[in-house]
Amino acid sequence: MTGAHEVLLETERLSVSFGGLRAVDDVSLALRAGIVTTLVGPNGAGKTTLFNLITGHLAPHAGSVRWLGRRITGQPHWRIARAGIGRTFQDLKLFDHMSVLDNVLAVTERDAWLWQRGGAAGAAQRLARAEAALQAVGLADRRHARALDLAYAQRKFLSVARLLASGARLWLLDEPASGLDPRSYERFLALLREQVAHGCTICIIEHNLDIVVGISDRIVFLDQGRVLAEGDPKSILSDPNLAAIYFGERIQ
Amino acid sequence: MQAYLTNLAVLIGINAILAVTLNFVLGYAGIFSMAHAVFFGVGAYTATWVAIKLGGGLLLATGAGMAVAALISLALALPALRVRGEYFVAASLGLQMLAITVFSEWKAFTGGIGGITNIPPASLFGFQFTTPAQYLVLTLACLAAVIAIVRALVRGSFGRSLKAIRDNETAASTYGKNVAVIKTIAVAVSSSLAAVAGALYAFYMSFVNVESFVLDTSVLLIAMVVIGGVATLTGPIVGTLLILLLPAALSYLPGLPSTEIGSIQQIVYGAAMVLLMIFRPGGVWSLRRREGDPR
Repeated sequence: MTGAHEVLLETERLSVSFGGLRAVDDVSLALRAGIVTTLVGPNGAGKTTLFNLITGHLAPHAGSVRWLGRRITGQPHWRIARAGIGRTFQDLKLFDHMSVLDNVLAVTERDAWLWQRGGAAGAAQRLARAEAALQAVGLADRRHARALDLAYAQRKFLSVARLLASGARLWLLDEPASGLDPRSYERFLALLREQVAHGCTICIIEHNLDIVVGISDRIVFLDQGRVLAEGDPKSILSDPNLAAIYFGERIQ
Repeated sequence: MQAYLTNLAVLIGINAILAVTLNFVLGYAGIFSMAHAVFFGVGAYTATWVAIKLGGGLLLATGAGMAVAALISLALALPALRVRGEYFVAASLGLQMLAITVFSEWKAFTGGIGGITNIPPASLFGFQFTTPAQYLVLTLACLAAVIAIVRALVRGSFGRSLKAIRDNETAASTYGKNVAVIKTIAVAVSSSLAAVAGALYAFYMSFVNVESFVLDTSVLLIAMVVIGGVATLTGPIVGTLLILLLPAALSYLPGLPSTEIGSIQQIVYGAAMVLLMIFRPGGVWSLRRREGDPR
């Protein structure tokens, strides 16, 4: 399918169990180009596990993942990443002992060989991309600091800068705003909106309802590994049953 | 006295090559190899074989040593690097033990326990290296070349890949890095450069045997890197100097019976390691660059 909102990524009846627990249970969903989808649901709903299945960090027991119509299930995650799927982690997973600039530069360099293809021109291009990503997240003046020495909010922005520089078409963001102060997350929302305007497709796991409402086009509500509901933010968030589940009251 | 110092300097140069190349994988890639002495040995035996059987000069012998070491390192790295770090330690230890057996039993290639004597001197474009002073120049030139290669690699994109993998392997692969291939290449580069030290050693000593390539050597090399400072260019050289000069310095201490030097040396090593881990866990050289980018 082509067009403004073509399906980029599709999961088909995706399932995985840990012991007796079905962490993700028969989940079929489509992420469309230019649409911001938010995964909500109580803790343990399977949101992060779903990300792990998409990016190849976990292998599904059943079902498949398709990217641009091609099956990517079972591929190593570096290959899935190169196809254009990028993600952040709750624990950020920065390259702590490297400089801010090197953190970003490293993700632009994908050749495994002793040097990168493209010579000096390629190197200059990658450096420009990295600098632009740092500029976009407001970390350009900290480029020589160690990632470890950044403040928490700056570390979060660095993880987004990495994603930005990687050139990923689909961003999977795992609780990107948790722990951000109000000013930082305003800046963060603006950054995401700008990226969406530039053609980025985003899927977010988020508990902060301001963010959910502020940026989502579509919400997928997960509980106990299953998709309970999906739709536009208003209809999902105004559903009293879903609210009850979200806040921990089980509906029989 | 001068002959003694020249000899010491050559050995320091050879060990510095080993420490710098070990640090390339240990410090920058976080790959803990207990088998670095194996590649030192493979370089030495291969160069010896090429020099004696084929009449090869320095370049051919060293090149052959590097190639064989790289191939053997692939046999270690390809299966062992697919799994987590601890397994590589075990696998490399296994290779080290296996290599000792091969080095002492494969008489046709290694001369067995007795080793090989009368290795012809190294020749380069018709020039024969015969005096220790000439070997010192040759060793320092090789050390400089190895440092230049390692420096270029760790400061470029490959070094960034290694450091990224060391800092967070999951993130590195999530952003498109083929971790297994990058680690394998790093091990092959490190091993083949270690073989340069082996070739130099064989030509310089004109004698090789298994004693030089045992587990103790691997452990001592790790000590040089850790004491000097991992993931720095200067650290391994500082570590090599400290570890090799210590016995030399102790032997000049007045009033110390020469029979006791060995055990005192062990005590000093042990104490130094413990103090280092407490006060400078990053190594002697690390204090100088606590701030800023740890390149």
